[in-house]
Amino acid sequence: MNRLKWLLAVMVALAMLAAACGDDDTTDADTPDPDPDPGGATEDPPEDLPDPEPDPPEDPPEDLPDPEPTTPAIATDVGVDDDTIRIGFLSDLSGIFAGLTVPITDGSQAYFERLNDQGGIAGRMIEVVVRDTGYDVPTHQTHYDELAGSGPDGVVMIGTSTGSPHTASIREDLIDDELAGIVLSWNSSWASAGSANVFEWGTNYCVEAMNGVSWLADAHDAKSIAIVTFPGDYGEDGAIGAKLAAEALGLEVVYDGQGSVVPGADQTPVITNIVESGADIVWVTTNASSLAELIGGAYGEGFTGQWGGNGPSFSSLLLPTAVGPILTANYTHFAPYASIGSGDSAGMADVLSLMREYAPDKQYLSVYINSWLMGEIARQGLEKAAENGDLTRAGVTAALQSIEVDFQGLAANANYAGDDPNDQIARGTWVYAVDHETYNGDATMLDDEGEGLTMIGENYVSEAAANWEYEPCFAI
Amino acid sequence: MFGRPHLYTSYEQETKILPTWTQKVFMAFFVMMLFLLPFDIPVLTDDIPGFGWVPIIGDGIPGFRFLGDENYMRSTTLVLILTIAALGLNLLSGVAGQVSLGHAFFMGVGACAGVYLGGEANSQVWGHGLPIWIWLPGAGVTAALVGVVVSPVAVRLRGLYLAIVTLGLVFVGIHFGNTSWGRKIAGPPSLGREFQDVQLKFWKEDNALIDFSDDGRWLWFDVTDAEKYYLLFLVLTIGFVLLAKNIMRTRTGRALQAIRDRDIAAEIMGVPEFRYKVIAFAVSSFFAGVAGALYAALSSQLLSDAFNLFLSVEFIAIILIGGAGTNAGTVIGTFFVVMIPRFVEDLTEWLAAAEGGVAGAVADVVLTGGGDFGLVASGIESQGWPMSVYDWNVVLFGLLIIVFLIFEPLGIYGIWVRIRNYWKRWPFSY
Amino acid sequence: MTAGTETAATEGVLVTKSNIAKAAAAGVAACLAIFLAKQLIQDPDLFFQTFMKSLGLGSTYALIALGFVLIFKATQTVNFAQGALAVAGALFLSFMVADDHIPLTTIANPLNNVGGPAWVGWFLSLAVALCFAAVLGLLIERLAIRPMIGQPLFSVAVITLGLEFILRTANNDTSETEFRSLEIPWGVDGFNVGEAFVVWSYVAATVTAGVAFLAVFLFYRTRLGIAMRAVAFDQETALAQGINVGRVFAIAWAAGAVLAAIGGIFGTQPPVKQTGAIDPETANLAFRALPAVILGGLDSAGGALLGGLIIGLCEIYAGQYMAGLSEQIGAGYPLIIPYVVMLIGLVVRPYGLFGTPEIRRV
Repeated sequence: MNRLKWLLAVMVALAMLAAACGDDDTTDADTPDPDPDPGGATEDPPEDLPDPEPDPPEDPPEDLPDPEPTTPAIATDVGVDDDTIRIGFLSDLSGIFAGLTVPITDGSQAYFERLNDQGGIAGRMIEVVVRDTGYDVPTHQTHYDELAGSGPDGVVMIGTSTGSPHTASIREDLIDDELAGIVLSWNSSWASAGSANVFEWGTNYCVEAMNGVSWLADAHDAKSIAIVTFPGDYGEDGAIGAKLAAEALGLEVVYDGQGSVVPGADQTPVITNIVESGADIVWVTTNASSLAELIGGAYGEGFTGQWGGNGPSFSSLLLPTAVGPILTANYTHFAPYASIGSGDSAGMADVLSLMREYAPDKQYLSVYINSWLMGEIARQGLEKAAENGDLTRAGVTAALQSIEVDFQGLAANANYAGDDPNDQIARGTWVYAVDHETYNGDATMLDDEGEGLTMIGENYVSEAAANWEYEPCFAI
Repeated sequence: MFGRPHLYTSYEQETKILPTWTQKVFMAFFVMMLFLLPFDIPVLTDDIPGFGWVPIIGDGIPGFRFLGDENYMRSTTLVLILTIAALGLNLLSGVAGQVSLGHAFFMGVGACAGVYLGGEANSQVWGHGLPIWIWLPGAGVTAALVGVVVSPVAVRLRGLYLAIVTLGLVFVGIHFGNTSWGRKIAGPPSLGREFQDVQLKFWKEDNALIDFSDDGRWLWFDVTDAEKYYLLFLVLTIGFVLLAKNIMRTRTGRALQAIRDRDIAAEIMGVPEFRYKVIAFAVSSFFAGVAGALYAALSSQLLSDAFNLFLSVEFIAIILIGGAGTNAGTVIGTFFVVMIPRFVEDLTEWLAAAEGGVAGAVADVVLTGGGDFGLVASGIESQGWPMSVYDWNVVLFGLLIIVFLIFEPLGIYGIWVRIRNYWKRWPFSY
Repeated sequence: MTAGTETAATEGVLVTKSNIAKAAAAGVAACLAIFLAKQLIQDPDLFFQTFMKSLGLGSTYALIALGFVLIFKATQTVNFAQGALAVAGALFLSFMVADDHIPLTTIANPLNNVGGPAWVGWFLSLAVALCFAAVLGLLIERLAIRPMIGQPLFSVAVITLGLEFILRTANNDTSETEFRSLEIPWGVDGFNVGEAFVVWSYVAATVTAGVAFLAVFLFYRTRLGIAMRAVAFDQETALAQGINVGRVFAIAWAAGAVLAAIGGIFGTQPPVKQTGAIDPETANLAFRALPAVILGGLDSAGGALLGGLIIGLCEIYAGQYMAGLSEQIGAGYPLIIPYVVMLIGLVVRPYGLFGTPEIRRV
């Protein structure tokens, strides 16, 4: 036993010694500090070219300088070969938001399937690599490591990264790995410098709340407002936006319930506070289940104000339930993009034709718009990179950072070029009245209606939102 | 040199950690392998013909070297961390017989204490920015203190009452993340707070002697941050395994076992029940606290929701599947519970990619691309039958618990003992 | 130090502590009573409305708790899968009333057009759903619990935890995490008593709980009920007396699953949910009802009723009258009220209000 202890002690000591000896050259050997300036990213590719050589041992070094005879010279590193481009998806296919993410991923697969049928990008087919994150930060990171590795499992860009804390946990790694990630979450922090490789799209929760509160105050001639939201990045981003708008409009905040709604808890205290406040309008940034509790409970106790909410606060699935009529009469929904079938923009026609051809029996849902928008960003970024002759990870990131994505009327355009976040963030919101009578749970993509949403405002930008100087509302 | 197993001439000999030379040699070899796991040692990475097809092995590397791959590094490190926590629960539940569903709560306490002591303060959160040699033990000690505070109530309760009260701790703990002062420590709920980098330094502003959170070069090897974490946590885990082993084979461990087997009889024989139960709670919470801080350090994010009932049940499953009351079983159980879902996912993926041959035939039966036939949905299907591999993993987790409890209550360790005994006596049956 | 003095010392500490706890509890109770009396005088309508609401929640908890107790009395184990069973039963009902075929098959559902008023079909569907729940309970008992007779009690409890994961996944996949409406005839409507608004489901839950408890008390007087109590008292002796322990197990699990399903159905109604629809969150209801069982005593049906009502009362009244303190005690505090009440109760009585203290022998 003593000998074993001795052996272990020696090994531990050795490891520590190794650590202590070797570590002093970390600081200088490691990295020329990652350039935080997104504009400077275009100068990256030249210094990047020698980099891949020592990394993958199975790659014959002659391969790199030799341009392929068939295709025009396109530099590649991980995730791209002569026939395929691998795009990674970090989606929560299980967990609390699975009901939303699974159809979004369905839609993305349809999008890339069509793109492949149309010939792919630069003669290469898109291969979608989906990993389930279970809405769990460690799992998200585990699968990120897998996709961001330099081996054959690696991808050239992250096509979807779901969730704010989850994406926040990998944003520094994204910069280190020179990977671009399209985020499926609308926190107001993504436009800040620390998230240079996180590509957001659509109006963030904060701006959306400004637009929503302004619209509601205008439509219902309100004098007072109650704000009830989830705690954390999503809810409090909305709460801060709502308060900014209330301040700009001179509304009195009679109940400030920032972070007061905890999902799954009995909502009696929040309902009591709303009812006692007697507000003209109520702003919610929660999930559908909690919205139902709040609005149903408050009306049961005789509350009569009007309600508005954004993001996943509302789901059409609520319409056939008992709170459907209450929602129809009192609720207005705000979203960063057009709902399916609303308006007659070119983008809408394209989404409908895509889904009707590639996923005709799927339920008639707006979430497919998400898939289309993120697919557009990935496609335009990759095409730009191919045009630049650089389908490396850094090349794709640089290409994305230089483009403005036109969403053809489906959402406020995403502008990734330029340095000023005030130009980059989207400010337009789509406004919907809801109607439980037009909802039809059996409607498929081949139908023309069935979601119970009626568009009443398109790309609406309130004064508060237009004048807002960018600064993360709820920084993460 | 090999001696005769089970022939002990002194008590000291019997309580040795590794009584025979064979065991010592194997253990030394095993520990060395663990240390070398992340590195490309030529001897270990040679491609053995005929093993290339094994799907979980990644690039055709034989043995368990693939666990040190970039892809697997985080899961492998997680095994080490959860091993520490599971050893703690094993002492409490396996050795002392006090069933706790609140282990995740104590991990959470440790993580919060760790970030409170070691994290940097700003307008949103508190923190003291202390070095690791304060915050890591501090995490353990804080959790142990909370364990001591809870134990007077817990000691009065028995069996399932205790299990449900400790279950309550998990809910109460997550709720603290919602209070205004809880937010100052753990960050906003559902978002959490960034956990400090793991750096070895003397005091707050000093330069780091060893920076575990950045790539670097140790001896002849380039090591990434993930590999550094792995090595650090490996050293810590070995330390905690030895600690647990030593607790079990000394006075305290014997007292705890006596209490588990028959508490009143133990008390009559002079084992103070109350004191030892409190000790058991404190020690177990200490393990959990350290593991909790490391758990948050690994993902560099502290999220109070992460320390939930599922995590607690995972520990119960680890102990039961591995073999309650044994340290080796706990380690094996942790590996099993953490890695099996990864393996199942990889296997499904490999099957889905396979064309023709045995694998292709299996894939045709088991998987379904279009939702018509088979058990596992390989594409991204809408929810519903057939279930996706991720849902199957949860079901598998539940099934494993049930199957092990019904058919092998002693866990994997029990299976191993049976196999060993069979070969020891072979060709005789007794 | 000898064992004797040590024990005496420990118990001395505990006795003093429990006396302090009792005094503190009495003090808190007095303050609470004064506070509530003040509220009653200030706004009697609101107070009455809150009372009816808490009665509804308490009855729902009591129903689920009764399921726990039935199973515990027969098999000495806590069924952690009770929540998943509740969702499974309610989900089956939602399929019965919403789809035009019998769930899990393609056969046309004859209950969709039985004629007569709509509620006739609904109650028939309810009966079928409860039968389904009973069969599910029997299956679980036969496959997972029966092989564990004679094994440590905690192992059996952990088996039910494993079942909880399996059932929960199956539930989520079957419901596709949608809101599935149960189309309960009384809906979420209510009536006014003065200014107070009372939802019909509060009344329905209270009446159902009353009936269920009456049925259980009567059942314990029957031959089978006595057999069940004998099994609860001592399995081996019961076996020696010729009691079919296996059958007692089976009946207890079937009844427990049925009660869980009823609880799950009320879990889709106010005050628990406003949608009248089942969603995956409903499974957590059982974890909120668990404290009710512990508070009342794991082996006492009366305790389950009282525990459920106390927990429901505390949760709703705290939600109503402590709303102004949300900031200080943390948002979502009703979630932990059951556990806090349980902890306080256990400090005073380690075996719950009506639980039988375990007699320990060497």
